[in-house]
Amino acid sequence: MIVRLSLTALLASSASFASADIEKWLRPAEAPQPLNNKLTPERVELGKLLFFDPRLSSGGEFSCATCHDPKRGWTDLTPVSKAMGAGRGPRNTPTILNAGYQNRQFWDGRVKTLEEQALGPIEADVEMNMPLAELIPKLNEIHGYVKLFNAAYPGEGGLTQETLAKAIASFERTVVSTISPFDKYAMGDDNAIGVKAKKGFELFKDKAHCMDCHDKFNFSDGSFHNIGLSDGELRGKELGRYLTKKRAAWYGAFKTPTLRDVTKSAPYFHDGSVKTLTEATAICAGGGRYLNNVQNKSTYIVDRNLSESEIGEIVSFLKTLEGPDMKLDIPTKFPQ
Amino acid sequence: MSDFFKTLLFSLALAASASAANYVVDQKGKTFLPGDLSVSVGDTITFKNSDPFAHNAYTDNESNEFDVGMQATGRETVMTVKSAESFNIECAIHPNMLIKVMVE
Repeated sequence: MIVRLSLTALLASSASFASADIEKWLRPAEAPQPLNNKLTPERVELGKLLFFDPRLSSGGEFSCATCHDPKRGWTDLTPVSKAMGAGRGPRNTPTILNAGYQNRQFWDGRVKTLEEQALGPIEADVEMNMPLAELIPKLNEIHGYVKLFNAAYPGEGGLTQETLAKAIASFERTVVSTISPFDKYAMGDDNAIGVKAKKGFELFKDKAHCMDCHDKFNFSDGSFHNIGLSDGELRGKELGRYLTKKRAAWYGAFKTPTLRDVTKSAPYFHDGSVKTLTEATAICAGGGRYLNNVQNKSTYIVDRNLSESEIGEIVSFLKTLEGPDMKLDIPTKFPQ
Repeated sequence: MSDFFKTLLFSLALAASASAANYVVDQKGKTFLPGDLSVSVGDTITFKNSDPFAHNAYTDNESNEFDVGMQATGRETVMTVKSAESFNIECAIHPNMLIKVMVE
């Protein structure tokens, strides 16, 4: 099923897109779900409470939403995340918008599912720093949570690491993009975006080759690339997917991020080193920050010879991918 | 080694070589074409890249371990199926690309 809302009637009248193309740009109504964790209202509501509950961190100050803030594009709008204590995390906080549609999670794609992803940041010492061996007994002392887990996951052993991961993943699966001006344009409303943005979309598809990676409704094909942000020998977290296994093709490669609501999630790239969409576009379509001495630079990243005004047109198009914030009642009271 | 055994070994090698098949898998439109394969031990698989950008093909199966690295447009790489274990081939760059290779 595809999200069409009240714009379905416009499909047939679209002058800009063939019907197959229109389908390509529309978000499927629900993210794929594992057979053992189908979405239910109880699971989503429980996951939401956990996502916003700071008691899941060691100091009781950080929740998942501290870094994945719905009011900040599900990010924290900083280059790299503030960590427990005075430190900083190693990478820019990726948005969780539409993460349920991705087949690899984290910048380096080290896990496939949201269930596998959900517990990592809770335990990470640079994030919530809460060992699960401490957290699970602690949460089991909160009767309100025990009751909710039993209702959401009957017959699954109550509040365990597995059901905790499932509940958080269920909520994350509902964090999705809304209808943007571009979607309305794709469905036939020719006035939904301006002339400059339309030119930008054409450049995005053709001359600039952005769509080679930023493809389909989520404007990401889930692929991994070294886009030349660093040169020479890479170290530590700069190695990207190569850290998960030393494949030559993964040296310095990071996942192609979604461009949905990209206006809400600056700064950009895995290191948060770029403040504006203009600069980010110029780097990607200009052959990378470093043209030379970049081992394993993606063959997509070459200088497309764009003028400043063409980059401006692409940025105008990217702005049309911003939709209204999804409806969400952020919890202020938590189970006791 | 006697001439008899040399002849026998040569004949066996020739027979195995003659019966081995080669399968061609093209990487086109971010898809492995034609799709899943059924092969036998000793067969070869030639990976082509007809896309205008680099691809990769690898398997994590230990007994058939294989990784072409960065495969540029137009380049071909051949793998030999060494073990009777079935395996998946994926593209390291485009994880949506995956085929199953059933070894019979």
